[in-house]
Amino acid sequence: MVFTTAIMMVRSRGPDEFWRKRKIFKIAAHFSGRRRNCYSIAIKAVHRALQFATIGRTVRKTDMIDLWNTRIKAGCEEHGVEINNFKDSLSRCDIQLNKKVLADLAIWEPNSFKALSDLAKSVAIDYNLPGTEKYDKPSNVITRGLLKK
Amino acid sequence: MSQLGRVKQWNTFARCWHLFDAAWQNPLECSPTIEKYLKGLNKPIYHPLVDCGDHVVVINSKQIAFPGEEWRRRAYFHHTGYSGGATWTPAWELHDRDPTMIFRKAVYHHMKGNLFRRVVMERLHIFSDSNVPEEVMENITNQIPPLRSIPKTLSSYSKEEIEKYPKIIDYPEDFILSKN
Repeated sequence: MVFTTAIMMVRSRGPDEFWRKRKIFKIAAHFSGRRRNCYSIAIKAVHRALQFATIGRTVRKTDMIDLWNTRIKAGCEEHGVEINNFKDSLSRCDIQLNKKVLADLAIWEPNSFKALSDLAKSVAIDYNLPGTEKYDKPSNVITRGLLKK
Repeated sequence: MSQLGRVKQWNTFARCWHLFDAAWQNPLECSPTIEKYLKGLNKPIYHPLVDCGDHVVVINSKQIAFPGEEWRRRAYFHHTGYSGGATWTPAWELHDRDPTMIFRKAVYHHMKGNLFRRVVMERLHIFSDSNVPEEVMENITNQIPPLRSIPKTLSSYSKEEIEKYPKIIDYPEDFILSKN
C-alpha cells in the first residue's frame, strides 16, 4: 500500500468505508501475512498493537532507569566505590546530575566519572558514611573537610 | 570511521577472560558474580541487546562447597521424555558423575531464561581441576577474587608450624591422647 499524501488521510473522517479502513491499514502496514491485508484480521492486530504501545510507554521509562542504574553501578565498581555511597556523597555536595547524565559520563567521559568517584570517595570518608572503612583516601582530591556542611 | 575511532571501538568491545577459583566456594552464591562477568554487567557500556560479555574460566570445580545438608538434600531433576522417565539425582551423586555439572547448572538456573542464556553460557568454561589447556590459559588477564576465604585444613600445617603453635600446657610423656 502506498500512502501518497497526508492530506488524503484528512478525508478519512466520516462514514466512507474505504477511508475508514485505510486508516487501519496504514497502521497495519508493517505487519506480516493477512494481518496487513484483511481488514477483519488487521483491526484485531491493530487494537492489540496499540494496547502494547500504551503499556510500552511506561515500561520504557522503567527499563531505561534500570539500564542507567546498571551502568552507573558498573562505573562505580571500576573505581571501587559503592553506588550507595556514590549517590549519597554526590547529593551531599549538591552535584545534581541525574542518572542519564551519570551513565553517559561513565561511558563517554571515563576521566570525568573517575573524578566524580574520587570526590565521592573523599566526601564519604569525611562524613564517615557506612562502608567507607575500605576506601583509600584519594590523593588528588583536597577537601580539608571544607565540603562537609 | 577514523582509524583511531575504529581501534577505540575494538578495545571497548574486546572480550576479556577472567579466572575464578571455585575451591571451597558455594556455587549458588558465586552464580550472581559469574553472571555479572558473563553478561558484561561490569562494564558501563552494558546493554541487554549488545553482546558485550566476557569469558569466565572456572577451575577446581570439583572442590566446591555446599552448606549444611545440601549435598544430600538437593536433588537434580531430569526427564527423558518417555513415560516414567523422571529421575531425581542427589547432588553428591551428580557431582561424582560430572564435577562441572553442579556449577554449570547453578549459573544457568540463576540467569533469566531468554534466547541469550545459552549463548552467554557458551562463554563459561568450567574445569574440574587446575589443569587448564594452554590455549585457554594464555587469554586470561584477570582473576575474580574468591567470595569466601579458603579455610586452612589441619593436614596442610607443616611440622614446624605445629611445633611453633602456642600451647597452654605440655602433656606429660605418659599421657595417652588416643589409642591409635
